[in-house]
Amino acid sequence: MNSFFRKLLWLTERSDKRAELRQELQFHLEEEAEDLQVHGLAEDEARWAARREFGNVSLIEEATREEWGWKRSEQLARDAVFGLRQIRRNPGFSAIAIATLALGIGGITAMFSAFDAVLIRPLPYTDADRLVMIWENMGKTDVASKHQPTPAEWIEWRRLNTVFTDLASSQPGDATLSGDGEPEQLPARKVTWTFWSVLGVQPMLGRAFTEDEDNKSVRVAVISYGLWQRRFGGSPDIVGRKISLNDEPYEVVGVMPRRFYFMPSPEIDIWMPAAFPPWMRTNFTWHDAQIVARLKSGMTLERARQSMAALSLQVTAKDFRGPHSVFVNPLREEIAGRTQTALILLLWASVALLLIACVNLANLLLSRGVARDREVAVRAALGAGRGRLVAQFLTESLVLGGFGTVAGLALAVPAMRFLERLVPEAMNTVWLTLDWRVLTFSAGAAIAATLIFGLAPALRVSRLAPQDELRKAGRGTASARSHWFQHSLVIVETALAVVLLTCGGLLFETFRHLRNTDLGMRSERLLTFETPLFRYEDFDRRVAFINAELEKVRAIPGVISAGSINLIPFTNFAHATFYRLEGQPQPGDDAIPGQVALVRNVSRGYFATVGARLREGRFFSTSDRKSDSPAAIVNEPFADRHFAGQSPLGRRFKFGELGEKGHWYTIIGVVKPIRESGVLDEAKPAVYRVYEQCDQVGDLRAGIVIRTAVEPASIVSAVRQAIWSVDKNQPVARIQTMEEIVDRQLSTPTESTALLAAFAVLALLLASVGLYGVLSYAVTHRTHEIGVRMALGATSKEILLSFSKRGLALTLTGLAIGLVVAAFAARSMATLLYGFRPDYPATVAVVSLILLAVAALASFVPARRASCVDPAIALRNE
Amino acid sequence: MRRNARSRVELLQGTLDLLILRTLLAGPAHGHAVAKYIQRTSEDLLQVETGSLYPALHRLEAKGWIAASWELSEKGKRARFYRLTPLGRKQLGAERSKWGAFVRAVTLILNPVDQEVR
Repeated sequence: MNSFFRKLLWLTERSDKRAELRQELQFHLEEEAEDLQVHGLAEDEARWAARREFGNVSLIEEATREEWGWKRSEQLARDAVFGLRQIRRNPGFSAIAIATLALGIGGITAMFSAFDAVLIRPLPYTDADRLVMIWENMGKTDVASKHQPTPAEWIEWRRLNTVFTDLASSQPGDATLSGDGEPEQLPARKVTWTFWSVLGVQPMLGRAFTEDEDNKSVRVAVISYGLWQRRFGGSPDIVGRKISLNDEPYEVVGVMPRRFYFMPSPEIDIWMPAAFPPWMRTNFTWHDAQIVARLKSGMTLERARQSMAALSLQVTAKDFRGPHSVFVNPLREEIAGRTQTALILLLWASVALLLIACVNLANLLLSRGVARDREVAVRAALGAGRGRLVAQFLTESLVLGGFGTVAGLALAVPAMRFLERLVPEAMNTVWLTLDWRVLTFSAGAAIAATLIFGLAPALRVSRLAPQDELRKAGRGTASARSHWFQHSLVIVETALAVVLLTCGGLLFETFRHLRNTDLGMRSERLLTFETPLFRYEDFDRRVAFINAELEKVRAIPGVISAGSINLIPFTNFAHATFYRLEGQPQPGDDAIPGQVALVRNVSRGYFATVGARLREGRFFSTSDRKSDSPAAIVNEPFADRHFAGQSPLGRRFKFGELGEKGHWYTIIGVVKPIRESGVLDEAKPAVYRVYEQCDQVGDLRAGIVIRTAVEPASIVSAVRQAIWSVDKNQPVARIQTMEEIVDRQLSTPTESTALLAAFAVLALLLASVGLYGVLSYAVTHRTHEIGVRMALGATSKEILLSFSKRGLALTLTGLAIGLVVAAFAARSMATLLYGFRPDYPATVAVVSLILLAVAALASFVPARRASCVDPAIALRNE
Repeated sequence: MRRNARSRVELLQGTLDLLILRTLLAGPAHGHAVAKYIQRTSEDLLQVETGSLYPALHRLEAKGWIAASWELSEKGKRARFYRLTPLGRKQLGAERSKWGAFVRAVTLILNPVDQEVR
């Protein structure tokens, strides 16, 4: 039995041991007395002599008990009980302290849980840190500098690279599942057979498809766990079953694990062989692949970037657009996207908030500590050592910290529900919980916080000279030395609040800008959905189907109008094509390098349905029929690019892309820009043509938009019936309102703005409470001095001014420091501003005004109290 | 026959533990007996203060070098008897050789060899 356990055992029989010790000492006394009697002393005398010889019994008892090793824990318990009593005795003070700390701890706990879930926790792939995604870097074109690569590049890179163990390509390939039950459009991807080995994830049931199956275009599919459960009831004999995808029989060969997901969305249900057709293998213009690769072990990202940039230049040397480089980005960065910056910013904000809370608490405790100087002096005079006093004050802080932490955790849970919405779209749904990682983190944060706010008051106590304090007899005077520390604390918290307010202000400006962005259409009461078109092989039948479904939809009660566009606006940056204006010099092909426009195909009623606005010319009409001289509507950015200051109407251009017949399109109208590729992306040059006049390039799907007079959700089932009345095997996919699309895209800026604003307001509040606390404490402490000054002739106005001035000086210093730090912080959040340049000076001006107003109020109240001191009462009060 | 306080020797720091362990080597004893034994054996040169004795006894017990139990004294009264544990016996050996080395070292300094030669 080692000594620790022995002591532990003793601890359980504590009161017994005390009694035993007393008995033991008593026995000693009796023995001694008997000994003395033997030497000839009388009984009474002997007992007294023994007693004298023995010394102070209770002192010996105490010294002996200390050997039991309980001293520390007993003291700790006593201090903790004392701390609890302090909390009960000062409920107001304690409530403020605990609430302050709860805000700080709650904020940082919730933020860390989100940060951990999105940026720290391993992604569900083997060695996910070595996974990267590769994009083409088309720096010169203006549609987007980050382009999807081509399958041909995948083949070349795979053959020639020296930095990856392997690469996998994944292309869009939505699939319609039919057969049993309602036809359903499923998000699917066409992936190369290397997909599974690159990610290092295998199906949980069955197998992945093989190289041979991929090359021979065998109809096999791997399905998601979700689809397996939802559509096939989790039946174990799913492997080997035939299902009907796009009206073709596919054999299910595997089911992926439940936690598996991969770019671009966690909703993918089916992975099919890429099965590149021969022409795609050598075509460097088919940009629809996402390429993920696994770095060789020991390969750094930097070296891979250099090597791949060189390789890409070599592969694209003969490309008509000129050689170009690539981006190689860590997969984590791709998945987290802008959320990464938002989370980092918010985590820093929560650290700042916690710091402010700590500083505030330190200040409160210091003020209260001064009020307790007499208590401390008495304790010190009665023999409490410095260490003992420091320990006592720290323990009291720990008790406060404990309560604050528990309250903070209670606050963190609802905050986590809100933060879950901030998780990037490319990631699986996360449930943020107070798991051990988060709890460990917040325990660490709480201990650090307690040390920060508890140490200053505790150390101050240890420097106290008891005799001075006792002599002072409660007559407080201002000593500069004790105040500079509190003052610098106020400055620190003011500066932090300024930083948070400035960042919050910039985000808010950006958010307002985004909210007020002209969408180019009226998004309210607009229902959208998609119908795949694979069931209609030739082009004319596709157009006929679209017209037929529009006809049926228009007949639904509550529908005002309906139109179609191949890709629903705000959702897709694909389908960009090179073009050449009439009169532009003609290189080898019809394409002018770098001259790209988004191409959208629409029905005649589309523009009227979405409420697009015309700048000049006209929309499509029934007169625009199939012809060799088709019409086109361009958007304002297109018109401004080539025809600034003049009208583009009547001018002609042609597309330089495969499969086009090379008709010249005549511009008949200019429409105000609609941000086709996303609400947050600047509108790019775009061209619209009417379905009937398109070339035979097949669209995979038709997007339908419906303007309703009633709530859009109420007609959804009627819409489904209408489509099925045209074709009963036709799925209706991605039903959503235009407002939902817009809101979802604005959710990251909305939520990060809301959070940062909340942090900033709390910071302001705490900082002003801090300022108020310090000044009002000074007033209380200096009542005597103020009384003397007034008795000597100072007017109450002078007193008011002197206190207000001090508050103002502290605030201005904090403001100046804060603005300097904010300038740096603002630079790091550039990606959250979405290319928008908020008016920095205006934001700073507003922040400064708000801060000064709040600070003025916070210092006026105590200053006013100081000016109302009645010298007669103040001086008598001793 | 008690020597007066003047002629007593102050106990060197840390030697009390050694003395207690050595005393208990003879057999179990209660606190008073230990104090008396040390006093008597040292011809009254060493007087063990109760204020040091009991903390020392409890400290040794906490370390596991001695063990305690309540037993009847020779006069038939309940007393707390201490006895040496095997661990304590080992410790006594170690302390003893340390003490021996210490004594030798001090002696060497107080009576240097070259002085004796001269």
